[in-house]
Order: sequence, then C-alpha cells, then structure tokens
Amino acid sequence: MTSVMHEDGPRGAAGMKRNGSASMRRLFAEGAKGPIGLLAALVVLIVVFSFLNPRFASIENLQNVLFQVSVPLILVVGATLVIQMGSIDLSIEGIMGAAGMTWILLSPNTRTMIDLGLWAWLIALVLGMSLGLMTGVIYAKLKVPSFVVSLGTWYVGLGIAILLYGNNSLPSLTSEALARWPTGLTLGLPHAFWLAALVLLFGLLISNYTNLGRGLMAIGNNEPIARMSGMPVNVYKIGAFAIAGLLGGLAGILATMQLGSGSTDIGFGQLFVVIPAAVIGGTALGGGEGGMIRSALGVVLLIILNNGLVLAGVDPDYQSGVFGLILLFAIIAVAWPERGRLKVAK
Amino acid sequence: MKPDAPVVLRLTNVSRSFGKIKAVRSVSLEIRKGEVIGLTGENGAGKSTLLKILAGIERPDEGRMEINGKVANFKGPNDALKAGVGVVHQEQSLFTNLTVAENIEHQNIERQGLSRFGIHDWGRINREAQKVLEKIGVDLDSRTRVGDLGFVDRQMVEIARAVSVNPDKSGTPLIILDEPTAVLEQAEVEVLEREIRKLREFASVIFVSHRLDEVLRICDRVVVMRHGELTSDRLTEGVTKDELFRAMVHETPSVAMRSRAAPSKEGQAAIEVRNLTRHGRFDNVSFAVRPGEIVALVGTNGSGRGALARALFGAETFDAGTIEVNGKAVSRWTIAKAVRAGLAYVPAERKVEGMIGGYPGTRNIALVHPEHARVGPFLRPRKMAHIAQQWFNRLGVSPNDIHQPLAQFSGGNQQKVVLAKWLNNPELKVLILDHPLRGLDVGVSQAVNREIRKACDNGTAVVLIPDTIEEALEMADEILVLKDGRVSARHDMRSAGELDVREIVSEMV
Repeated sequence: MTSVMHEDGPRGAAGMKRNGSASMRRLFAEGAKGPIGLLAALVVLIVVFSFLNPRFASIENLQNVLFQVSVPLILVVGATLVIQMGSIDLSIEGIMGAAGMTWILLSPNTRTMIDLGLWAWLIALVLGMSLGLMTGVIYAKLKVPSFVVSLGTWYVGLGIAILLYGNNSLPSLTSEALARWPTGLTLGLPHAFWLAALVLLFGLLISNYTNLGRGLMAIGNNEPIARMSGMPVNVYKIGAFAIAGLLGGLAGILATMQLGSGSTDIGFGQLFVVIPAAVIGGTALGGGEGGMIRSALGVVLLIILNNGLVLAGVDPDYQSGVFGLILLFAIIAVAWPERGRLKVAK
Repeated sequence: MKPDAPVVLRLTNVSRSFGKIKAVRSVSLEIRKGEVIGLTGENGAGKSTLLKILAGIERPDEGRMEINGKVANFKGPNDALKAGVGVVHQEQSLFTNLTVAENIEHQNIERQGLSRFGIHDWGRINREAQKVLEKIGVDLDSRTRVGDLGFVDRQMVEIARAVSVNPDKSGTPLIILDEPTAVLEQAEVEVLEREIRKLREFASVIFVSHRLDEVLRICDRVVVMRHGELTSDRLTEGVTKDELFRAMVHETPSVAMRSRAAPSKEGQAAIEVRNLTRHGRFDNVSFAVRPGEIVALVGTNGSGRGALARALFGAETFDAGTIEVNGKAVSRWTIAKAVRAGLAYVPAERKVEGMIGGYPGTRNIALVHPEHARVGPFLRPRKMAHIAQQWFNRLGVSPNDIHQPLAQFSGGNQQKVVLAKWLNNPELKVLILDHPLRGLDVGVSQAVNREIRKACDNGTAVVLIPDTIEEALEMADEILVLKDGRVSARHDMRSAGELDVREIVSEMV
C-alpha cells in the first residue's frame, strides 16, 4: 500500500486544480487522511493532556488506555473491511451482546453449571460469524442496503442476548484466571491489548495480501468494473460481513471478560467509537479508501481523547458533545476535497 | 504488415438488432496480424455496438466471428479476455485506489498462479505487470497507485491491461481503443500514437475515433460505418478526407428545412457568454442568443458542448469568462439562480436528471415552478392536476393519465413531461436543450420540435445540442461548431445559402 493518499479527481491531478485553495486542501487532506497527520494529532493530544495532568503520562494510565483500546480495536478491523467496500455494519453492539452472553453462560459463572472451556469460545464466535453471514447474505444476494440490514442484525443479536439473560440473576465469572486474564501483563502490555494487536495483524494480512482484501478495495472503488472483471463480488461481500461478525463475537467475549459479568448491552457505545475512528483514519464511507493501521490510530486517538478529558477534569457530561464535534470535523475534513457541485451525497 | 500475415479477426455477416432498430447490419471484416484499423462514423452509426460484440458484452444475432482462427461465441466479457480481445474503453475503467500492477493483473491473479490459497504473491504480481509494461515500452513503476498517475499514464495502464489478457501465447492479441484521444491533450495524443506503433509489433489494433486526421495518420486501413453498415473499407494510402466524409454522411448533400420566420439579430440578448472557459472542457467560447433565436451547438462527444450547456445553467462551474443573462453579468451562478432568472435545462440523461420516475405527471410538472400551484407554503393538488392536464392535452401525452408514475411511460412521453415542466413558466427566457430528441421516434420528435418553435415564437431564446447535424440545420438560426472545446466555425443560417452537412462534419473532426 502506498502511504500518501491523494483525492481522486476525475482526471487525477487536473481534477485537483479546480476546488478550493491549495493550502486549505493540503491541511485537511493530510490532517485527516495521512497517517503522519494522525500521528501528529496523537502527539499533540498526549502533550496537551500530560501538561494538564501529569498522571496522564504515567505507565499505569498508558496501560489503562491500551486496555480500553482493545475492544474497539478488534471491532474496527472488521468495520474497516466492510467500509472499504462501501458498505456499513451497524450490528456490532448486538453481536457483542449475543456472543458475550453466550460465552459467559457456557463458561464458569454464577448462573449455569456449565463449563465448556474452549468450546464456549468456539460457539460464541460461530454465533457472531453467523449473524455477520446473515447480514452479508441478505445484503449481497437480496440487495438490501447494508445500513438497514445490519440495523436489523443488531436487534436480532440484542434479542438473543436478552433471551439468554432471561429474568434470572446476573451471570458473573467465577473463574479468577479468566477474569484476570485481560488485565494481566506480558512484556508490560495488557493481554487484552495483545489479543487486539493480533487481530490487527490478521486484518492487515487480509487487507493487503489476499484476493478478498484487495477485492473489497476494488468493489469500494468501482463495483461495476469489479463485476465486469469477473470478480466474485458477492462472495467477497459476504466474507467481509462474516469476518466483521466473527470479530464482533470476539470483542463481545473480551468485553465480557473485562467486565467480569454478562450484560446484554456489553457493546453499548462501541459503534460510536468504531465508525468515527475508521472515518478519522481516512476510511471514506463511500468505500475504496483507508487502511487498518490508520483505523487503529483513529481508535487510539478517540480513546486517548476520552481518557485525557477525564483526567483533565472535564465534566463527563461534555464528553459526548466533544465526541460528536470531533466526528463532524473529521467527516468534513474527509469530504473536503470531494465537495464538487452537483455531487449527490446520501 | 505483410499481406500474408495471419488473420486475427474475421467477421462474416455479423448483425445485431435492438427491437426494430438494426444497429449492426451484416458486417464482414478481416484484420490481419500487425494491422492498425481505423473505425469511424457518426454517432449512432453502430460502432459501439460492434465493439461490444467484440468485447463479449453484446452477442450477435447472426453471423460468425473468428479470432485467431477459432470460432468465438462469447458469453461474457471474460470469454473475450480469454480469447485475447483487450478493450480500452472510452470511459476509463481502472481501480484508482489500487496499484498499477493490480490493475494490470487482476484478471489473471487467479488463473495464472499469481496467488496461492487466496493470498497474493506480490513479488510475482509486480514482476509480471512490469514485464507487460516493458513489452509495450511504458516507463512506469508497477507499484504506483493509479490514482496518483496523470491521465495519459492511466491510459497506458489500460492498454497494458488489455495486452496482458492473452493467455494463449501463440495467438495475436486484438487491442481495441475506443476513442482514446477524445479527452487527451495534443502532447498526450502523440504519446498514444507512439504507443500504437509499438503495439502493432505484436498485436492487431482497432482504433476508433471521430478525428479523421488522426485516423489517417495512425492507421493502415480505414473502415467507415453508417447506419450499421460498413460503407467503406480502404487502405489509408491514397484516401482523401472528402471520400471518408461521403461514406460517413447521408447522400443528401444539403438540407434547408427552416420553417419559421427568422427572428431579428437586433436587440438585447437573453443570454450572452464571453470567453467562457473551463479547463479541459471548453475554451474561450463566446456567443449570444436573442429572444426567439435558436443557437445550435454542434460537435462530437468530448467537444465540450455538454459541459458548456451545463455551465450556462449553473450545473457546472467555469474558470474564466462571463455569462450575462438579460444584460446582467451573473456571479456565483447556481441552478437555483438560473431557474429564478427564467432559464430551463432539458438534460440528456432524462431518467437520471430530468424526472422523478416515482412521481406522477402532476408532481413532476410542479417540480420547478410550484408557485403556480401554491397557496402560501401549501401545494394545491387540484390546481396541480389542472395544470398537468392542460400540458398532457397540449402535448398529447399518452396514456393521458396525470396520476400514473412517470417511470411507467415510454421515453418519448417522459420527454414531453420533462419539457412541460420547464415550459410551465410564462417567464421562460432561455431554454437549454441537451439532446432533446434522444431515443424519440419521429412522431414525438416532431411534437417536441413544435413546442420548441412555439416557445421561440413567444420570445424564448433556445440553446440546442442536437443529436444530428440535420436536426441543427432544421431548427437553428445560428450554428456553432465546437471542436475540442473551441469554436471551430460559426454559421448564420439567415445569411448562409446552402450549407452542407459534410462541411460541418469536416469542421467537427
């Protein structure tokens, strides 16, 4: 993958000449899209927050940040694959709920007397992947917009979680080893983060080295050409949603482990971290752009922002608003070079 | 090219019809190894249908196609690629977000072992692509992202991709270039010409172009199509442009069908443009249209007339020059302002830009000037229906049902409603028509032309982009010929005596 991204005018360089002032475009295009801009933004945030509260730069807090980064990092890998092909997956919170609840009820817990060990993982992951497959098949074969299909899948997942939860008592993890695993440190980094890093590596491989990953980029860039070139477009589309579902399941298990007990809304708020993170990382919602590393940086940026605002003593009530503003800014920045006249945005 | 070179493509009596229209009629053609064939003809002569048959996009109804000595029955574009037919389409069809190598090789990745178990072998993909680039003599790094390339380099990547799809090493690839020069600058055209000369060393080429100068310069043989038939197939040596024009255009040498009193050339222009320029589209165009006048913009695809018409209406930007409406220069021109100033635009893409298919006639007609059917902020359905009914009756829309969704009407009747939408304005000053008769039969065409003339008689200025030159000769008071974005000729029909279609064609190409 090339690291420097330019916007695509209809005629490349010639297309760039027409819109806006050059300096403005450079500022926005690189600030939003280039990993260097992202890294710079990260450094600025870290410096500012360290200045506001020296505790921010402590080892403990950085471990804490990485712990918080883990779940959305796993999710953003799947989300990036889906968004790169120009679709969107809104179902992650529901899938997390279904998979997380399934996992805890099949692992040592206060509710059921079942402990399937590794099978609990497998069953929960397969459930997540099946929900993703369902979205993918309905979207690719029945041609229903992924936006709507995945909204439905979200609530199917949530429904499964609620049914499993029932009216009984809260299921809590009874295995100390499992409950402590995510916070445990190896080489100074929490296990949860190691897991997420592994997933990121997996995502990078898929995105850059497989027919599926490159095919998704091609579909996002120009689906009719992809079809005319004989690509198995539907297979790729379903594959992307299946992977996103699988990773949603994994994120649900990890989040449940982190919490130590089962919850139907274990995924609450993740969607609003993951999608903006991908967009801030330069994954255009129209598809065909962006990359795993930059999406991951987007996640880190948002989590650090959140963490830093807390440590800086900002009223938690303001944080939603700040998140929203950051998202708006990022979307404007990404759309900036494309704002030609008569372009229909949907 | 040696005369005894093997035959790469042989077409025998190939035909293709769409409904009643015979787009390709019994075409027979032979192309030998190393030959460069120029294919030319007017819009709608059947060139693109013939290309689609060769590319496996359309299937012939009749006739026989042989490529490298084998009968070709293409079921889809993939079959054509496998047989060694590579097409460089007029519209570029590259993935701009992928690398040069991926674009060149993506059709081969699964077939030729460039990936294993779905995992790319980047080293081999890059090397194979680089080999193709070297073969056609293009100096590009196969790892570059296509979006970072200039236009002519992208064209080279398209050619490389077309060349790469020849799995049968013994066969000769057939490379089709569909109007590759239409959007190129002069220097870029020269690069392309050099490239074509290299291609002939190992391939046969079909070069489609409107520009006869280029065809005569680049090709060994010229083939002309008219009304779906091959009307001329000659060696380039010794052929004159005039002979080619005659093969391209109808035998009727001059048309004089003006059927209404010529409006005066005096007075305030309804719309006037001075030195209007949009880089890469149109350049330094000036003209004025007075009330009651029809000015036709004539040119080939890519001559810039479509972009010019859209700029007049505020649908596209321009870089330099001025537009004056009723004597006042416009600034920050938008469609909303244009509509308020009394401009109207009937687009070429009717279904996409001209109408809302799910809406019935009533609401389509009320789209642009709802003020005629409104009380305060509220639309009055009965008034809307009344207005729509008047227009349906006047234009003879069939079926005469103003409540039926417009998508269910035929194209001609849709066009009548699109026209009514704009004509439903007593303050109409300028009517811009982009291919108003596209896809219409004779009856509807006459109805539409009648309405255009009627609007003129009521003092509307008309800017017309006609489908054919005959249409321009029939309707226009003044004809502007555009070539590559510039005005190459002007004809005032009021003073001009006999005007020849061929003369205009020669100014276009």
